[in-house]
Amino acid sequence: MTIDPNKWIKTLPNNNLNDKSNENNADHEKWISTIPKKNNIKFKKYYFSLTIIIIGLVSVSAIKNKTRNLQKEISSLHASIDILKKDLHKSTLEHEFITSPENITLLAKEYLELELTTYRAEQIKHLENKNLELIISEPVKKDEKKKLSESIKSQVAKKIKKKKNELAKLKKLYKNPETIPGEVKAEVAKKIEAKKIELKELYNSPKETITVDKFQKWGVIQLVKVFLGIPVVPGK
Amino acid sequence: MKDKKTRNKKQKSFFFEDYDELETIGKNINLAKISLNRVTFLFFVFVSIIVIFSIKIIYLSTLDTKKIYSENNTKNFIKERRDIIDTNGTILARNIDIYDAGLRPQLIENKKKILINLKIIFPEINIKQVEKKINKNKFFYIKRRLTEDEYTKLWLLGDKAIEFPKRQYRIYPQKNLFSHILGQTDDKNIGISGIEKFFDDDLKVKINKNLPLELTLDSNLQYLIREELINAKTDFRNIGSAAILMRVDNGEVLSLVSLPDYDLNKRISINDDNFTNKITLGVYELGSVFKTFTLAAGIENNIINSNTVFKNLKEKITCDKYIISEHDKLPKNLSAEQILIRSSNIGAVRIAQKLGVEKYKKFLNSLELFETINFDLGEIGTPLSFKWGKCKLATASYGHGIVTTPLQLAKAYAILGNGGYKIEPFLLKNKKKIKNNREQILSNETSNKINEMLRKTVSLEEGTANFANIKGYEIGGKTGTALKYNSKAKLNTFVSLFPASNPKFVLLVMLDEPKPAPNFIYEFPPSDKFPNGYKYKGERRNTSGWNTVVVAGKIIEKIGPILAIKDLQASKNF
Repeated sequence: MTIDPNKWIKTLPNNNLNDKSNENNADHEKWISTIPKKNNIKFKKYYFSLTIIIIGLVSVSAIKNKTRNLQKEISSLHASIDILKKDLHKSTLEHEFITSPENITLLAKEYLELELTTYRAEQIKHLENKNLELIISEPVKKDEKKKLSESIKSQVAKKIKKKKNELAKLKKLYKNPETIPGEVKAEVAKKIEAKKIELKELYNSPKETITVDKFQKWGVIQLVKVFLGIPVVPGK
Repeated sequence: MKDKKTRNKKQKSFFFEDYDELETIGKNINLAKISLNRVTFLFFVFVSIIVIFSIKIIYLSTLDTKKIYSENNTKNFIKERRDIIDTNGTILARNIDIYDAGLRPQLIENKKKILINLKIIFPEINIKQVEKKINKNKFFYIKRRLTEDEYTKLWLLGDKAIEFPKRQYRIYPQKNLFSHILGQTDDKNIGISGIEKFFDDDLKVKINKNLPLELTLDSNLQYLIREELINAKTDFRNIGSAAILMRVDNGEVLSLVSLPDYDLNKRISINDDNFTNKITLGVYELGSVFKTFTLAAGIENNIINSNTVFKNLKEKITCDKYIISEHDKLPKNLSAEQILIRSSNIGAVRIAQKLGVEKYKKFLNSLELFETINFDLGEIGTPLSFKWGKCKLATASYGHGIVTTPLQLAKAYAILGNGGYKIEPFLLKNKKKIKNNREQILSNETSNKINEMLRKTVSLEEGTANFANIKGYEIGGKTGTALKYNSKAKLNTFVSLFPASNPKFVLLVMLDEPKPAPNFIYEFPPSDKFPNGYKYKGERRNTSGWNTVVVAGKIIEKIGPILAIKDLQASKNF
């Protein structure tokens, strides 16, 4: 019995027979794929996030610095506002004290020179039209004022009459000098004599009449005149 | 087993291990792992920092900015108590910072120098005492409440031994004006009397510290009323006086004065009874002002009307130990209205007798005259209790033998005047408003009749309150003259409602122990006999009609324009 080698061989699995040529050729692609690969993408992610964090931190610190400066400014402004508020707080209190009814009354009594007229309710006219301002009827004092002014007028009129009468008398006297009484004439003569004597003394001894005081006074007057622009010599 | 099989099936290929290369790969993997761990560690550190910062930022953003900038700022002033203001916004009480001057002897370098400087700055200081205190070597106060000038002078000395402890102090810019109402605070800013005590918790509240406590009082009205009461003292030589002005429709107190008063800023302790709040704390027998209640009770119970005539009124009647007589000679026959207008004691007794104890008692109780009143102050008097009987009814009808506070009397008159609606007096603004369903104690008709009668008491010549007949204000009111307990001294009261046709305000004026004023010129208002009125001097009587009525008239004349009473019938006759 002969063995049919082909038959026997056929029993063998085909794959192994077909790949005989590539039997000793290792699939390098497959082989490489078995080697664990380096995870580059992961590393990239970490670097990316790290840079973002660092940038973020730097920017945060920069922003924080700026905000801190702003905060300082704001707090200093707040402090100044607080001081102003405190001053206002005290000032309003002082204002309340100064403007208290009691104080105002005291101050009014001390400093106001106005004579305030008190109107009784019945002196105020009632208005039908509420839009108009209140009309105040004539106060009682006005009658008194009228009376006062009338009495003053009559007194002045009396005085004017008196003066007119005196003037008329003087005119009459000047018109008829003979009617002037002798006593009046003697007095006038005396006065004329006295003036004549004075003038004579001045003419004879002017040094005595012009004293240092008089000269000083005259000088001061002239100086003032010059200062005010009034001509020193009258008429110029 | 199955797992092993599946694993074998999945295994498609095999490889040859290059041990040299594997070693380097393993090393690289380890290094990568380490660096990765480091990076993750750093990452977490940074993340945690960021988280911390973000938490802080979120926290700060949620905080109130005012808190950050105000509370941490030492220069900022935080009130320990809220302001108190009146109805116009006028400040009545406010806290401010003040400095005390203290000395720490341990830090003194030159004792003589410091003593000389202190003597220069405070000439009134007792240097020997200061020296003694210095020798004790303990901290002590040189002066409390320094003025600005004193503080500057001491500060300029630059001595480290002198210390300036800062504290808050309550200032009352209106001084005496509201002394009986506002009360005081102690050194620790705790309210010890008046509004300061009653609303202590409200004033110390931390929220809304800048929101003041607003009162119903009006400084201008208060001042004018106080001035008139002070003037009354010179005219009638009374030892004390009091007044209250209140709205009749809701019980809003516009003014409350009690004299003598005191400067709240001086912080003095007062033990004199005369300084008590006469309106709220004082409990008095108030006299004939009670006749109005007798009349009102009679009308309300349909026992009498205004025209009911009481005939053969005796001049004097007795009830047990009590002798009841008239204050003046009066006609024998009087109508109910005339009994009030002329203030007849016997007439009032007759009305009360007709009414009976129970009805009268019930009416007075409905006005809450004998209960402790609920008011915005701690200083409240409690009326004395008594037993009702025939004689008590007789004396109570004209206001003798029964006591109450002037505040309760004003409240009762307000009820009579406002149409009979119950009210509660109050001082705190916006606390109480007019309720729609108010309790009505007496009818509108009774109220109107009483208002008419009260007006006649002032307007008619035979009335006891002629001097209050100020043209334009339509004043109605009732006088009350009572003798003080165990004394011949009088306590005169006048309660007025105005304008009487539709009362809006009630004014109670009380003079304590007024004396006759023979030198006072009384100005009688115009009447039929004297169309221009007339002046009178030399009066020896000191009953209410001759003093409290005059004062009340003057007060109403002054405060009337401020109250701006409109729609007055009387004003149209100007």
